[in-house]
Amino acid sequence: MSYFFQIVVSGIVVGSIYALAALGMVLIYKSSKVLNIAHGQIIAAGAFITYFLTVTVGVPIFFSFIASMIITFFLAMSVERIFLRRLIGEPIISVIMVTIGLGSILDGLIYLTPFGSENFSFPVFLPQEPLSLGGVSISWTQLVGVIITFVLIGGFSYFFKKSTVGISMRAVSDDQFGSMSVGISVPKVFGLAWATAGLSAAAAGCIIGNITGLNFDTLHAFGIVVFPVIILGGLDSILGAVVAGIIMGLIQQFAAGYLDGNFGLKGTGDVMPYVILLIILWFKPHGLFGIHEIERV
Amino acid sequence: MRSKKSLFLNALLVLVVMFAFTAQAYAGGKVYKIGMSLAITGPTSDAGNPYSKGTEDYFKFVNDTKILGNDTIDCTIRDDQYKTDVTKRNFEEYLEDGIVMYLNYSTGSTLGLKRDFDEEKIAVLPASYHAGNLDGSNYIFLPIASYSDQLVILAEYVAKNNKSGKAKVALFVHPSAFGRGPVADVEKAVAAGLNIELVEVVEHGKNLDNTAMLKRLMSKGVQYVISQTIQSPVATMIKDAQRLQLSASSFGEAGKFTFLGAHYTGGNDLIALAGKAAENYFWTTGFNITSVKGAGTEAQLALAKKYGRDQKAADSHNYAAGIMVAQVVTEVIKRAKAADLDVNRANLYKMLNQMNGGNAYKPYSTSGPVSYSKTDRAGVDLLQIYSVQNGVFKKVGEPMQSEYMQKIK
Repeated sequence: MSYFFQIVVSGIVVGSIYALAALGMVLIYKSSKVLNIAHGQIIAAGAFITYFLTVTVGVPIFFSFIASMIITFFLAMSVERIFLRRLIGEPIISVIMVTIGLGSILDGLIYLTPFGSENFSFPVFLPQEPLSLGGVSISWTQLVGVIITFVLIGGFSYFFKKSTVGISMRAVSDDQFGSMSVGISVPKVFGLAWATAGLSAAAAGCIIGNITGLNFDTLHAFGIVVFPVIILGGLDSILGAVVAGIIMGLIQQFAAGYLDGNFGLKGTGDVMPYVILLIILWFKPHGLFGIHEIERV
Repeated sequence: MRSKKSLFLNALLVLVVMFAFTAQAYAGGKVYKIGMSLAITGPTSDAGNPYSKGTEDYFKFVNDTKILGNDTIDCTIRDDQYKTDVTKRNFEEYLEDGIVMYLNYSTGSTLGLKRDFDEEKIAVLPASYHAGNLDGSNYIFLPIASYSDQLVILAEYVAKNNKSGKAKVALFVHPSAFGRGPVADVEKAVAAGLNIELVEVVEHGKNLDNTAMLKRLMSKGVQYVISQTIQSPVATMIKDAQRLQLSASSFGEAGKFTFLGAHYTGGNDLIALAGKAAENYFWTTGFNITSVKGAGTEAQLALAKKYGRDQKAADSHNYAAGIMVAQVVTEVIKRAKAADLDVNRANLYKMLNQMNGGNAYKPYSTSGPVSYSKTDRAGVDLLQIYSVQNGVFKKVGEPMQSEYMQKIK
């Protein structure tokens, strides 16, 4: 039975981290209907900034973590200001193409540094002994990762529901021209959406980097790995990202735990989340929490 | 009158320039062109970057210290970002430049360009040790024994050192030709009598948590996991095993996993990624490593220092691998010159095929001699096993050759 519960715990841990990694994409989509293809590069940048501040500059890791979130907040805001603001009102596909180009530019910039082609790991700052209860164990890294994920996701949910700025962002997402007509600054909202996405990406990068080690290829691949999570969650729903992330994490772990290596099956842990995604989309084409918009002509 | 004077001066200038170039060419000797295409950026550049530095530095050293007399090697190194189409373009441009040998990198591009190498009749040393590179090709020469040899030798080591009964082994492989390639050879070795039970072959994805896989393998009695992939997924797996308290503290500890792996799973990069979880990781390669002092590694460190490389690059086994291919190229050019042959594709190919027996080459970067022939195109046959002890890789025993690979070939 402990085997089953261990898989449940691992599934929730993995799913939570997927949700945090997906959060930035959801935030941008929520306010601008744009899928940011360069999200993985921002995740990696956040992790590397934390490492640089901790190891090279000598800042305690907790403060480096906060500082990297602040830096990526402004970095992402600058990216939006420089590259994307001029595209407000242009077709969404143009903006998405720009994010592809942006990904290439960020790739190139990171490859100019040692982080592009070397491996690193964060200094050990948490207890190495795992927490165990009834044969189920979780590492401190994972536990802290899950706590940070839920704190950030809770904070963003509150922000979007209760704060004026958050409500403005949702309004812009619903109708840009309508929002402008009531005095909301659409460019500012877009900038803020990118900035908050940058902040959450840095947090995700640090947590993933602490688990996998700091390798650029591994880190930036998570920008793509979380795509099914975003689609399943419904693209613009924070709650959807959390639920979809945990569903994906659980499916992955259960498939790896019970199907792989049995019945002649291999690699189901990687494939099953996509199979389940297709089945769910068959019944709910807008994802679990996606909005089905009805246009009246 | 003025234009006549100007014409005369111009003609004189042209003559002076022509003389200067001719004199320089005569004094500087011949220039042999080599091409190299690899991932200096992009996927796997953690290996490709120091690899390129090793090659570049060794060729500089050859030219600076006049190892080839007045002749020099001009090696153009281009980044292909691990993209086969870019590799192909680089290779074709190198051919137009008149290269006499070619240094390639990835398994995918080596397999993809195999026919081109044969059609062009040009000897190629890739950084991929995939045994399949040699199938149906006469011009590809693996620098060291193949991944198949590496996995089988690790399996043999497990069989010899397992404390009780038949060792239960799982393979943890990359989902590509690079990872899958050696699986069939391990299965053949088992069928030929290698005393292990191959319980499962796991193809990994981009896993953040390998708990389910590790628990499943443990429930099947697996004690040894042999990896054929890159460092990052191995690091995640061994960190998970440490968290689950499933890592063996000594080789073959009962009820725990002992992790082993082939060339690209190990080295300092694994320690950088996995930290203390890398302790007791067993790794095989055909290169000397700087954490085991010796004349070869001292020469490697001196080379890195001479050309201003940082300590990380100097200590990388991929830097040693890059040096090794440059050493082999230099050696065959030297041998062609000594035999009074033209340094061209055909003669360098011939020299490579004669590099065996008493003519085997002993570079400082490898754990054994490099030998090639028409029927053996894997260079270093003797592989060294290392394991991580107190945060660095240390030698385990002496270099050895796979017994079962001889049987199943």
